Amino acid sequence: MAKNRLSLILHAHLPFVRHIEYPRFLEEDWLYESLSETYLPMLRMLRRLRSEGYCFRLTFSMSPTLCAMLADPALQERFIKYLELHKDLGEKEMERCSKEQLECMPLAKMYYDLTLKNLSDFCDLYHNNVLEGFRDLEDSGHIDLITTAATHAYLPLYCDYPTAIKAQVEVAVQSHIRHFKKSPKGFWLPECGYFPGLEEYLRKQEIDWFQVSAHSMLVASEPVRMGDYAPVRCPDGVAAFPRDYHLTSLVWSNTEGYPCDGNYREFYRDIGYDLPMEYVRPYIHEPEVRVFTGYKYWAITGPTNEKRLYRPELAAGKVQEHADNFLYRIRMKNSALDRSLRDGAPFYTLGFDAELFGHWWFEGIDWLEAVIRRASDADDLFLTTPSDYLATFPELQTVQPGYSSWGQGGYSSVWLDGSNAWIYRHIHKAIERMEELAVRFPEQQSLKQRFLNQASREVLLSMASDWPFILHNKTSVGYADKRLRDHLRNFNLVYENMCKNAVNTEWLVKAEKRDNIFPDMDYNIFNPSYNGGQE
Amino acid sequence: MILIKIDALTTTELQYIAQQEGMENWESLERDELIEALEDLYDEQEFEDRPDRDSKVNRNRFCNSLTDFRGKDDIQLELPGVEELPAVYAETSIHLLLRDPYWAYAFWSISPIDRSRIEEEGGIKDLLLRVSMRRSAADDEFFDISVGFDDTDWNINLPEMGCEYSVSLCKMDHEGGLEELCESKTVRTPKCYWTDHLDQLREEPALFKLYFSSLVTKGGIIVDNPTVQEIAASLSSVARS
Repeated sequence: MAKNRLSLILHAHLPFVRHIEYPRFLEEDWLYESLSETYLPMLRMLRRLRSEGYCFRLTFSMSPTLCAMLADPALQERFIKYLELHKDLGEKEMERCSKEQLECMPLAKMYYDLTLKNLSDFCDLYHNNVLEGFRDLEDSGHIDLITTAATHAYLPLYCDYPTAIKAQVEVAVQSHIRHFKKSPKGFWLPECGYFPGLEEYLRKQEIDWFQVSAHSMLVASEPVRMGDYAPVRCPDGVAAFPRDYHLTSLVWSNTEGYPCDGNYREFYRDIGYDLPMEYVRPYIHEPEVRVFTGYKYWAITGPTNEKRLYRPELAAGKVQEHADNFLYRIRMKNSALDRSLRDGAPFYTLGFDAELFGHWWFEGIDWLEAVIRRASDADDLFLTTPSDYLATFPELQTVQPGYSSWGQGGYSSVWLDGSNAWIYRHIHKAIERMEELAVRFPEQQSLKQRFLNQASREVLLSMASDWPFILHNKTSVGYADKRLRDHLRNFNLVYENMCKNAVNTEWLVKAEKRDNIFPDMDYNIFNPSYNGGQE
Repeated sequence: MILIKIDALTTTELQYIAQQEGMENWESLERDELIEALEDLYDEQEFEDRPDRDSKVNRNRFCNSLTDFRGKDDIQLELPGVEELPAVYAETSIHLLLRDPYWAYAFWSISPIDRSRIEEEGGIKDLLLRVSMRRSAADDEFFDISVGFDDTDWNINLPEMGCEYSVSLCKMDHEGGLEELCESKTVRTPKCYWTDHLDQLREEPALFKLYFSSLVTKGGIIVDNPTVQEIAASLSSVARS
C-alpha cells in the first residue's frame, strides 16, 4: 500500500523579551504562557508516546531568541515564581468554586493539577531548562531540531543587505549549536519569507532545506512538476519544502479549523478578566492590568457571549473525531491526486506555530497525540521529516520557488505597510552604519569589541519580524514601537560614540546585562569582506 | 579613547576589563586605582593610536558626573545616553523596497547641504520620482511621480510583473532643467510562469488540480495571494464564458 508521507513542522518562536529590571513584566508572560501551556505539555505528550513505543518523527524549529530565553537563569527563576503564583491562584480558585461556582470546581482542579505537573517537570525533570527535553527527544530520534533567523527577521526586506542576512543565518546556526550541540540541517524561514537567492546564505551554513509558503510553487517562474506535493531543489542545491495550505487550514483557520469547534475551550474567557479586581489583583499586572491567568471555564459555544460550561469529556470526543477526520482527508486527498501526480507519491509538508497547540488551542496537544497514535498504527501513513525525505529521495526537480510569504497577501505587505514602513529607514541605516563600523574598526579587543558586539546585537534585535507584525496587527503596539526605537537608539549611541572614539561604559554594561542574547556575537560578521577566519 | 562613566562600573567589571587589557596587577588594585590605571591605559592607547595629537590631556573628557543607577530599580526602558531617532538622516539617498509584485515603497532624504544648494540655486519647480522600468536590456521606459519638497516616502504602483525597477529622486528647476539627486538600487518583480500559460492550466484538469488542490481550504477559500487569485479568476471567467 502506498504510504502517505506527512511532515509536521512546529515552529516555536517568541521575540526576545527580558526585563529583569522590573519585578514582573507584562510581555514576559508571552514566554511563561507558552512554557506552561505549550512547551511543557508538548514535551510530556511526546515523552509519553516515546515511552509507549510509538514511532514518530516530527520537526521542531526552535528560534534563537526563544532558546536564549529558555536557557536564561533569570527568566527560569521568574517562570518558577509565575507557576507558584498560579498554584496559589489554583488553591484560591478551588476554595472559591467550592462555595460559589461548584460546577467549575473540577476545572479549577484540572488547571491546578496542570500547574503542579508543570512545576515538577520544569524543576525536577528539566532542571529549569526545557531545551534539555527537546535535546533528549532529538537524541532518541523522535524529533529533528532546526533553527530560524537569529532574531526572526523577515528576510526579503533585507535583500539589499547581504551582511545582515548572513548575520541572521550564521548567528542562528551558532546559537543552535550552542544549545543543541549539533548543526541544524533545516532552516525555518521567518514568516515563510522567501526571495530568489536567499538559499545561497543557507547553503553557506550547510543547511539542507527550508520551508516555503504553499503558493511559492504556483508563482514560480518555471512550472513545478509536483506542485506542492514534493520539495524542489534550488539551483544551489538547497531543498525547498512547500507547505500544504489545504491540509494546514484544516487545523489553522479561524473560520473553518478544528479549533473553532464549539465544544473546545474558549481562550478569551478567563477569570483574569471575569472575576472582580479585588480577587484577581495579586495575579495580574500593576497597575490593575487584567491579563490571562490560564483559569478558563467556558467552551467556545458559538458566536455569543453566553458561553456554555467547558466539558473536557466532550472536547476529548471531538479531539478523536478531528484526528480521524484529519487522516481521512489526507487519504482522500491522496486518492484524488492519484492521476495528477506524474512523479510518485505525494509528500505533505505542514507547518504550524508551535504555540497554536496548547496555548491558543487548548486541546491541540491532545489532537496531535491522537494523530501521532493513529499514524503510527496505520499502514498507509507515515510521519516523517524533511531531512529523512531528502535522505530517501535525493533526486528532486531543480527549480527556484517564487517570491512569497505566508502573511496576508502572500508577499511582504504585512511587514511593510502604512503602520510599519517607517522602521526600514532606521534599520537599513543601522545596518549600513554597522557595516561601516565593522570595516573601520576591525578586530577590536576588550571594551571596543564589547561595544561593537553589543551594537550588532541591537541591530539584529531591531530586525525581528515581530515588531512590524505587531505594529501591523495593532496589538501591544506601544511595546513593539518602544522596543524598535530602543534598539535603534542604542545602536546610534554606539555609532556616535565610536565616531568620536568613545565608549559609553555605563550604557555598555547595562545594555549587555539587559540584551544579553548571543554571548558569542562577533561584530566582524558585519564586515562585508569578513569570512569568519576561513580561507 | 574616551571612557564615558567608567565610575558607573562595578569593581568586578573594572577588574574584568583590566584583565582583558592585559594588566598584570589587576587583582591587587583597589577600585580607585583600577579606574586610574584604566584611564591611564586608554590615554596611552590614544596617543599610540594618534601620535600627532597634542600632548596635553584634558581630563574633563572623562565624564565623571555619575549617577549611580546600579542596584536600583530602573523603571525606564531607555538606557543612559540614548537620544531620539532622527526623522531622516543627513544624506541624500533613496531606497526602494518591494512590497509585492504590484507595489514598492520608496523612502528618501535630502541632506542639509543639498537642500541649501538647491535653495541657493533658485529653488525648484518640482521634485519628482522618476521610476525606471526595464523589461529587457533593449526595452525600458520610465514614468514620473511628482512629490512635495517635504515628502520623504511614497508607495509606487508597479505596472508590470517580471521587470526591473529603480527610482531616482530628481529636481526640476524653473527653467525645466532636470537634475538627478540620487538613485535607488534595482528591485525585480517576480515573473509567474502560469500567468502567461493559462491555456495550459485550463486544458489540463490534472494540472489545475495539482496546483490548486493545495491552495484551497475545505470550504473553498483560495489562499490569500493576488497572483493566485488572479489566475483563478481568469480561469473561472473563461470557464463561465
